[in-house]
Amino acid sequence: MTTPDRQAAFQHLLEEHKKILYKVCNSYCQDRDLRDDLAQEITVQLWRSFARFDGRCRFSTWMYRIALNVAISFYRRESVRTRHVVSGETRFLEVGGEPARQPEDLRILYEFIDGLDPLNKALILLYLDENSYQEIAAVLGITETNVATKISRLKNKMKQELA
Amino acid sequence: MELDVVKEKWAEHDRKLDLSIRLNRQILMAANRRRLRSPVLRFAFFVGLGGLLGLTGCVILGQFIYRHWAEPRFALAAVVLDVWVIATVAAAVRQMAMAMAVDYGQPITAIQKQLESLRLLRIRIIQWALLTGQVVWWIPFLIVALKGFWGADAYQVFGETFLLANLAVGLAMIPLAIWAVRRFAGQLAGYNLNQAADFLATVSDFENE
Repeated sequence: MTTPDRQAAFQHLLEEHKKILYKVCNSYCQDRDLRDDLAQEITVQLWRSFARFDGRCRFSTWMYRIALNVAISFYRRESVRTRHVVSGETRFLEVGGEPARQPEDLRILYEFIDGLDPLNKALILLYLDENSYQEIAAVLGITETNVATKISRLKNKMKQELA
Repeated sequence: MELDVVKEKWAEHDRKLDLSIRLNRQILMAANRRRLRSPVLRFAFFVGLGGLLGLTGCVILGQFIYRHWAEPRFALAAVVLDVWVIATVAAAVRQMAMAMAVDYGQPITAIQKQLESLRLLRIRIIQWALLTGQVVWWIPFLIVALKGFWGADAYQVFGETFLLANLAVGLAMIPLAIWAVRRFAGQLAGYNLNQAADFLATVSDFENE
């Protein structure tokens, strides 16, 4: 595949799965400017790794792995918290009507997700996005039984905290 | 609030997102061109640059050793410095290889452990470089630099007693430094080392629970 073809294929797949990018960025970064920065960082990593994508797993599974790995590293970098970011007029990831149209319970859900550690954030995000336990296990690198146990714990935690 | 109830709202929100998200293609292309934005790649680049500088140092020191092979008092000091530089170059190569091997398309627990191990290795290398460097980069460096740049004999300028006394103190510091690294590794590297070790433990727990 030539570079322009590869770029076109990449852009097409990214366009198809842009919601993953949005949801991962929104869950790992509260600051709007930094979120755009994170979205770009994930995209760069996706493009760099695209040549290695062999289609053995679904594109969404592969994209989740990269997006979550980059987001966790981004989240953990100390400098991010103090870095000065200049706001730009144009954004990489534009969302119409955000945040005014976000329902109250979704705002509460994002707050709950924000309070979780980076690994459990990934877990709940994958669960909410209707991924099977098998897919969640493949993205996280844990067993399906482990996924089930953790989800059950998260359900209880949510019930207790948001009662 | 129940997770499964919110899941339905999430799905509804998800459908709306399809229509409302737009990716700016110009920024997308520009971002893809900026390959060094990837922190791991940037890290590998700077470690590689350090390694390259180290290799240059090795060549310069090698020439010095060759020229002064018949004068052990100069050659020996250069050999000590060269061993230190070679060790730091080897460490840089190892770090660079580890950084380049990170494949973000692998499962999260595996990659996060790999990244954190790299971070721990980097911290430990810096600790060792600082602790041994304080010995190497004083008397041996003084002897080599004076001879190499100005042709001066440090043994005559400062007197052999001064140099030998300083060297002896420096050598006596090595076992102390090794003990200190082993005993106070966490405290010496401070928050970063403890944080890296903690996260590594968190990932392992998450994986094995």
